[in-house]
Amino acid sequence: MPRHASLAAVASLCLLGAIAACSRAAPRAQTVKIQNFVFVPAELTVARGDTVVWSNTDFVPHSTTARNSAWDSKAIEANGNWRFVARDAGRYDYYCVFHPNMKGTIVVR
Amino acid sequence: MSPSRLTNPKVLGSLIAISAFFSLAGCKKTETPAADTASPAVAPARDTTPPAAAAAPAINDAQIAHIAVTADAVDSAAGELAKKKGSTKAVKSFGQTMVTDHGGVNKQAVALVTKLNVTPEDNDTSKQLKAGGDANLAKLETLSGAAFDKAYIDNEVAYHQAVLDAIDKTLIPNAKNAELKGLLEKVRPAFAAHLEHAKSIQATQSKTGA
Repeated sequence: MPRHASLAAVASLCLLGAIAACSRAAPRAQTVKIQNFVFVPAELTVARGDTVVWSNTDFVPHSTTARNSAWDSKAIEANGNWRFVARDAGRYDYYCVFHPNMKGTIVVR
Repeated sequence: MSPSRLTNPKVLGSLIAISAFFSLAGCKKTETPAADTASPAVAPARDTTPPAAAAAPAINDAQIAHIAVTADAVDSAAGELAKKKGSTKAVKSFGQTMVTDHGGVNKQAVALVTKLNVTPEDNDTSKQLKAGGDANLAKLETLSGAAFDKAYIDNEVAYHQAVLDAIDKTLIPNAKNAELKGLLEKVRPAFAAHLEHAKSIQATQSKTGA
């Protein structure tokens, strides 16, 4: 391969790597809406470092409580929010402790 | 029917009566449109059928508001008792949730009737609900331990199912004001969630005998 072609290939790889690094380095917030006694979406996939925001639009308190105890919001009052930074990869099932039939899942990649 | 066979026959009976009465009222209201599609054999009757609008309304918004508030109060009162007398964490927690959630529903209802300047109107259904609720409380007061837990949860399952039926078949279809109808639609998921929760506890009680 000519030398200039090799340099171009290396530069391209560096650029791709930089873009990937940038995308990893920019955590973002994603929202789970609590609406009509349902978590919407029921399953949400986020990246490590992202913040998950549960927004309670109902008129009664709800909670988001991980079954493996990774988090527990306690009561999120009506029209309130609760945030959690997802640091560890994995699949997390959670529920509302006040209404146990309300279930959701957070997948952290 | 023996009270021992049905935890709260009066409350249940009241709610069944609501559904039955207003379902019949609903049937009456649909008689006229039905005549329009009737077979030719009954066609002449169409000309003499009074207009549907002339029929008295089955239930008005002020009465619906009163029924909703009463249904909340009845279940909150039972929840307060369960907080005190429940013998398991599940029953006590359920009682607390009923108090909290029905308090939330009630707050919404009061805010709406205040905004609409409507005074909830007492009616026979509300009276029956209240009487049934009082009878349920009186019965629960005589029980303790697992017997209390079972009677309370059995009643909660029956009560929430009956209230849901009344919401779907009577209250929402008869509500005239859009905001009142919207409120009923908004509180419906609460009753559905409570029903599922109560059924889960009931299933656990059946398994464990507790």
